[in-house]
Amino acid sequence: MSSLAANRKINTEMKIGAAICSVYLVWALGWFVYQYLIAGSITEPYYPSYDITQELLPLGGKYVLGTDIYGRSIFEVLSSGLIYSLVVALTVSLSCAAIGIVMGYFSVTAHSSIAVLLDLTINLIFVFPSILIAILIMSVSGQSFTGLVFALIITGWPGYARIARGETMRVMGLSYVEASKAIGVGKVRLFIKTVLPAILPLLLIHIVLGISGVIISESSLGFLGLGGSEYSWGSMLAVAKTVLLEAPHMVVILSLAMAGLIIGLNLLGDGLRDYLDPQNKD
Amino acid sequence: MASKFRKFLYSLFTIFLAITAIFFVIRLSPGDPVEKILGPEASQVEITKYREQLGLNLSVGTQYLNYMKGFLTGDLGQSLFKKKSVVELLKTHLPPSIILAIVATMFSSILGVLFGVISAARKSSGFDFTFRFISLIALSFPIFSLAPILVLIFSIKLNLLPVSEWTSIAHGVLPCLTLIIPLSSVLSRVTRNKFLEEEHGPWVRVLTAKGLSDYAVIWRVAKVCLPSVFNVVAIQLSVVLAGTMITETIFDIPGIGSLLFEGIQNRDYPVVQGIIIYSTVIYMGVYFFIDIINEFIDPRIRS
Repeated sequence: MSSLAANRKINTEMKIGAAICSVYLVWALGWFVYQYLIAGSITEPYYPSYDITQELLPLGGKYVLGTDIYGRSIFEVLSSGLIYSLVVALTVSLSCAAIGIVMGYFSVTAHSSIAVLLDLTINLIFVFPSILIAILIMSVSGQSFTGLVFALIITGWPGYARIARGETMRVMGLSYVEASKAIGVGKVRLFIKTVLPAILPLLLIHIVLGISGVIISESSLGFLGLGGSEYSWGSMLAVAKTVLLEAPHMVVILSLAMAGLIIGLNLLGDGLRDYLDPQNKD
Repeated sequence: MASKFRKFLYSLFTIFLAITAIFFVIRLSPGDPVEKILGPEASQVEITKYREQLGLNLSVGTQYLNYMKGFLTGDLGQSLFKKKSVVELLKTHLPPSIILAIVATMFSSILGVLFGVISAARKSSGFDFTFRFISLIALSFPIFSLAPILVLIFSIKLNLLPVSEWTSIAHGVLPCLTLIIPLSSVLSRVTRNKFLEEEHGPWVRVLTAKGLSDYAVIWRVAKVCLPSVFNVVAIQLSVVLAGTMITETIFDIPGIGSLLFEGIQNRDYPVVQGIIIYSTVIYMGVYFFIDIINEFIDPRIRS
């Protein structure tokens, strides 16, 4: 293990990824402060205003990034969408990871019949195209934030459960875990004190990479008209696509903004993997 | 052989579970197809009558038994909206989607493996760096933002390719490209990682010691990377299905994806069930065959 620790170096990928992600975080925080404290208030937040006379203005001029088909400033709409994406992505990824870890741990330690049942559930969710499950749930629950988050959690947790299961199996065989068991450590304590710290690093990588996945799934649903908010980047892109001829800059700006965030997250995730887990490259 | 048979039974069981699950989930979710067909002005009598005609007045259990009976004889029921049987609808909508999926996966696998191997064999070279950079960028544009950008570049600015409709090969280029770009990037990354992992294994050292040329060694290592690539292809298959759904709606292709999307929105139960059956069967089938092919390619997997 000592040689492993010595190999740990903060790599360039991580630095660039972290830098890009911080830019987006600062942007989101800045907009949040503007929306709730400067231009609006906690009770009456500020939302981008409509002005039909100003529709589809090009870049530059009064509006930095131009305006959309309702005459809203694209920058402001983009910022609202960013906050929405980040909130959805963080909520979903963290919940999925939590459920996945507990389920993965259970499937190893619990009675084998439960393990089989769990394995079957996971396989079943994998077999269905995740977008289909999400569409079904969204059409049942209606276009709401809770519905969207619920749909994405249902389709997201099995991935984490699989990884957590594999990792738990590996860790359970290690001597220090056996030693803990031998001195009579309870199941809950064993999980929190010995197993969790050992499997968390690998899951952290998947959480970071998973966040960009959730952002893409969320916008895919938005694009198909099933998003939870009009500010979802996906639904904005669906609108932008219809005015591709008149205002190509809308598609380009939206795509670049989204791609930037995803690149940042992917670089950070890849870098983290090299940092925490240099052996495993898959 | 016994393990193959068990796997086959397990696949069949999963397919059965998938059909059952979708049957009940879609029926228990709110929204009534009959009200959608007849419109808001329909009287209660008309609705009841129509429900009887469609057999929707029976208990869910009876409906399920009837459906399973039909399924075993190859009858997937009638679409509630279009005056066609589900089998017929599948027959007309499958070809574009299958062509799209096959062409996309084939080209992506070839390109992905090729670039992944070159990239790994010349690790840290200019090619490797450039290629990894490009694949990173390619992966960061989701399908629905990639498609409009491709349309913008190739159809509007350069005026090279047509969009919409599904009538000639030229119409298929952009939709295929939309699927190939992200998929080949994923596959090339998988290949590169696997290649680097295998490259220093003892069996490769034996090959070099025996005096095989560099190219012969690279060829053999590349072959061993294939199982990983196929596994990812299988996992990505559901992504490809979802991808064709978005691609089909963007490019107006009359495929299975747009049919499914429409079916879910209209609560056209038989159509949604039929498509789910189709996709689960394909998914499980591909998984099953990929396992066999992988064991054939890499004997180490057999044990």
